[in-house]
Amino acid sequence: MARTVIDPVTRIEGHMRVEVEVKDNEVVDAWVSGTLYRGMETVLLDRSPEDAFYVSQRICGVCPISHSHASAQATESALGITIPEGGRLVRNILECAQYLHSHILWFYNLTGLDYVSPVNALKANIADTYALADAAGTRQADFGAIAKRLTAFAENGQLSILSGHYWDHPGYALPPELDLIATSHYLEALEMQAVANEVVAIVAGKFSHPMTSVPGGTAFVPTVDKLDDILFRLVRVKEFIDTALIPDTLAIAPFILDAATYGGGTGNFLSWGVFEKSDLVPENRYLPRGFAQGLKLDAGVSPDDVTEYTAHSWYESPTGLNPAQGETKANFTEYNTDEKYSYGKAARCKDKSSEVGPLARMVVAYLAEKGGMDVAGGADVRTPAKLIDGTLKALGLEGKPEVLVSLLGRVAARNLEAAYIADIALVFVNELIAALKGGEAKFWQAAETDKGAGVGAWEAPRGSVAHWIGVNGGKIDHYQIVAPTTWLIAPRDDNGVRGPMEEGFVGVPVADTEKPLELLRVAHSFDP
Amino acid sequence: MAQEAHGAIYDLLAVRGVSRRDFLKYCSYIAATLGLSEAAAPQIAAALEKGAKLKPALWLNGGSCTGCTESMAQVDTPDVATIVLELLSFNYFETIMAAAGKQAEDNIAETIKEGNFILVYEGSVMTGQDGNTLIVGNKEDGSPKKGTEILAEAATAAQAVISVGACAVDGGWVAAYPNPAGAMGVQAFLDKEGIATPVVNIPCCPMNPEWVVAMVVQWLLVADDDPAVFLEKTALLTKTYKDGITGADVTLNYPEYVVGSTIHDNCPRRGHFENGEFVSEFGSAEEAMGYCLYKVGCKGPQTFTQCPVTRWNRSVSWCVNSGAPCIGCGGLNWVDNNAPFFKRLSSMQMGGSLGNVQPGSVAAVVGGVAAAALVAHGLGMKAAGRIGDGPPMETAKKYDRKRMAKGGDK
Repeated sequence: MARTVIDPVTRIEGHMRVEVEVKDNEVVDAWVSGTLYRGMETVLLDRSPEDAFYVSQRICGVCPISHSHASAQATESALGITIPEGGRLVRNILECAQYLHSHILWFYNLTGLDYVSPVNALKANIADTYALADAAGTRQADFGAIAKRLTAFAENGQLSILSGHYWDHPGYALPPELDLIATSHYLEALEMQAVANEVVAIVAGKFSHPMTSVPGGTAFVPTVDKLDDILFRLVRVKEFIDTALIPDTLAIAPFILDAATYGGGTGNFLSWGVFEKSDLVPENRYLPRGFAQGLKLDAGVSPDDVTEYTAHSWYESPTGLNPAQGETKANFTEYNTDEKYSYGKAARCKDKSSEVGPLARMVVAYLAEKGGMDVAGGADVRTPAKLIDGTLKALGLEGKPEVLVSLLGRVAARNLEAAYIADIALVFVNELIAALKGGEAKFWQAAETDKGAGVGAWEAPRGSVAHWIGVNGGKIDHYQIVAPTTWLIAPRDDNGVRGPMEEGFVGVPVADTEKPLELLRVAHSFDP
Repeated sequence: MAQEAHGAIYDLLAVRGVSRRDFLKYCSYIAATLGLSEAAAPQIAAALEKGAKLKPALWLNGGSCTGCTESMAQVDTPDVATIVLELLSFNYFETIMAAAGKQAEDNIAETIKEGNFILVYEGSVMTGQDGNTLIVGNKEDGSPKKGTEILAEAATAAQAVISVGACAVDGGWVAAYPNPAGAMGVQAFLDKEGIATPVVNIPCCPMNPEWVVAMVVQWLLVADDDPAVFLEKTALLTKTYKDGITGADVTLNYPEYVVGSTIHDNCPRRGHFENGEFVSEFGSAEEAMGYCLYKVGCKGPQTFTQCPVTRWNRSVSWCVNSGAPCIGCGGLNWVDNNAPFFKRLSSMQMGGSLGNVQPGSVAAVVGGVAAAALVAHGLGMKAAGRIGDGPPMETAKKYDRKRMAKGGDK
């Protein structure tokens, strides 16, 4: 059967290839390949644990904060360090800022172009655009000026980053006025993601590649001049999320409601948990640790439940190991979907092909919250259950959380999570101010030993990230990373079971295999 | 397609809500970044306003983390920066372009065919596993294409290459010992392939976007779209290193305004260094007072970049300002040469007439008080400490020797 290939898949971090079989305009099988190997884990061996904090985050320039936190936590767990309260709050704020940056950028600037056509926006009637923005309750701009700008850009004939794409695809079905609104917010999102990252820079020196959440806490001391810079910016970003991201999601959803019927993937959801409470207990994090199958929470989950298979991966390392014993030795043979076809290992949780990311976190938090857990730390915020139930109601899907397990659910979950995080970010800043007022804030704690083994299991915007470390005599003698993308773009495991994104492609309708827009939507929904 | 001038840049500016005043301010900023006098601002404005057709460009990702693309998205004054980006027609820019798959590959092929474009390269050049550590897209026979093949084709046809970030400069962390994926820098790779296209290197991990923007404007403004004029008119400094894979000496071009002085030279905390006021523990009261981070490992004295001046993320901060010691990501082979990052230097490579000196003698130069303070803090007064070409860390000797035994640092 002829196959449809997308390589490179663009608007993602890194290099990825997608190959599918389409029968009667529907995907019947899929293979996803990671096509870059750099060897991070090997580079880290024999170095100091704090060097791993600085180097390992460079595995991903889009979610380096989360990798740096996972690495620091791995070292802290190995060397028996408990970070002080001030360090916890500063890290939470830093992590929030990165999430807000990442989710805004993802919706408008990465996956946005799968739904929104800036070319079609040229046909918008300006008065109707204002009326639509008003009706949708979304943010207004000088739509006339933006239309003029787009026209000048299009008439020039050089479409730069928009060139070569199939804007004539029937999947671009939004009214021109909504395209214009969303394009206007595309431009504003470029500004707002940068504002969120200014918070990262204040706390951690710069984005990409943060400097301060070193093992033991943080090197950043929040002085008064820095606190107001942080608070003001987070308020501004929250306003954008409330007045653009959320209403735009609700405005676009009715035009893509069929996306609630496919693209759901495996339905197994893992979250390591993110945003610490004072007790530093992973199961009690704001977005808690958990594993759900069939929208039911398992009794528990731990990094010990992870296995990595290599039967279909370009490694000669043994297959079926937990990363505490894992090895990474690359051996490229050839690209062959029947044999080996990816530099990604097949990570499995409880031997299940498992989705990670905002949908997984929101499902786990939703179920935990329904089970009575406090996911707000007592604060008055929009919680996952409130957000999800409210959105289902707004779309006429009340009482049907199962529709979350779909392409549309995955898109919506990320944006709803952004709303939750915009709220709790301010809670953390206020807690930090209170701690500073009390004069009790401590930020960093030294290690008392130079030997041990540990895991830091945390969540990046795009999913679960864990670093396993072994330290002996102050030097790293073991290091393994299972990144979000390791989960998401996993190839088949030794039992031939598809990875979560591969499974997500199966059943997806494809109108035109030469212009596989629907596949881009599904791939981008995972934000690999 | 019409490729003629699309009108004064003002129209574009105006619809973006950018005032004439802001635009001129931006031109002054560009002048300052390029080391030109304020008087050059009107000339820059005139050049930008000429409204020539967009300069075609390709942004290729090698063995990258996409951090440099992310950094580019954090460029200052976004309204105007958008203009600058739109002055370039990025026909290929993996992380933000609309097209994917075959359509994206076609954009590269077409741009190469047309010629007269600038190539920006992010990430290491991946040569390991016979060049298969990075494969992207398909050849005509359907087999995967190596990243190195794409770079060689694009660089051959390009007028110039801007290597952005440590990985593109010399392989970055990916090339750190033992360089398991066979990473190298762009210049080293082009040398190996005999491709003579000029390369300008923008250091750091990630690179600072302001430095890239300045190079682009320099190209559009001063270079008359001609690589020879660009090389002649741009103040460049060179650094030479030995590539770990080819063994060849590689000479890198850098903009002088980026690498002309050390971080230590321009550090706002320099006064505390001279007063002998140091942070000795992270997150401490000394940090709240903005003391010098030298004692916790700061590599500012040996790192030649403009970070304290340009700063990061639209100038809101930079590493040292947030309380972290510089880890020297703007240097060559920066991981091997600077780790362990929290160990302080035993010798400081100072720019200019001082050359390589011990901190004690620096203190002696900068004043007796500082020297006394350094003694009081027990700081780096031991004369020896360097072993061969290994990292100049006081407590890293054993560590260095082990690495040397394995073949040494690259």
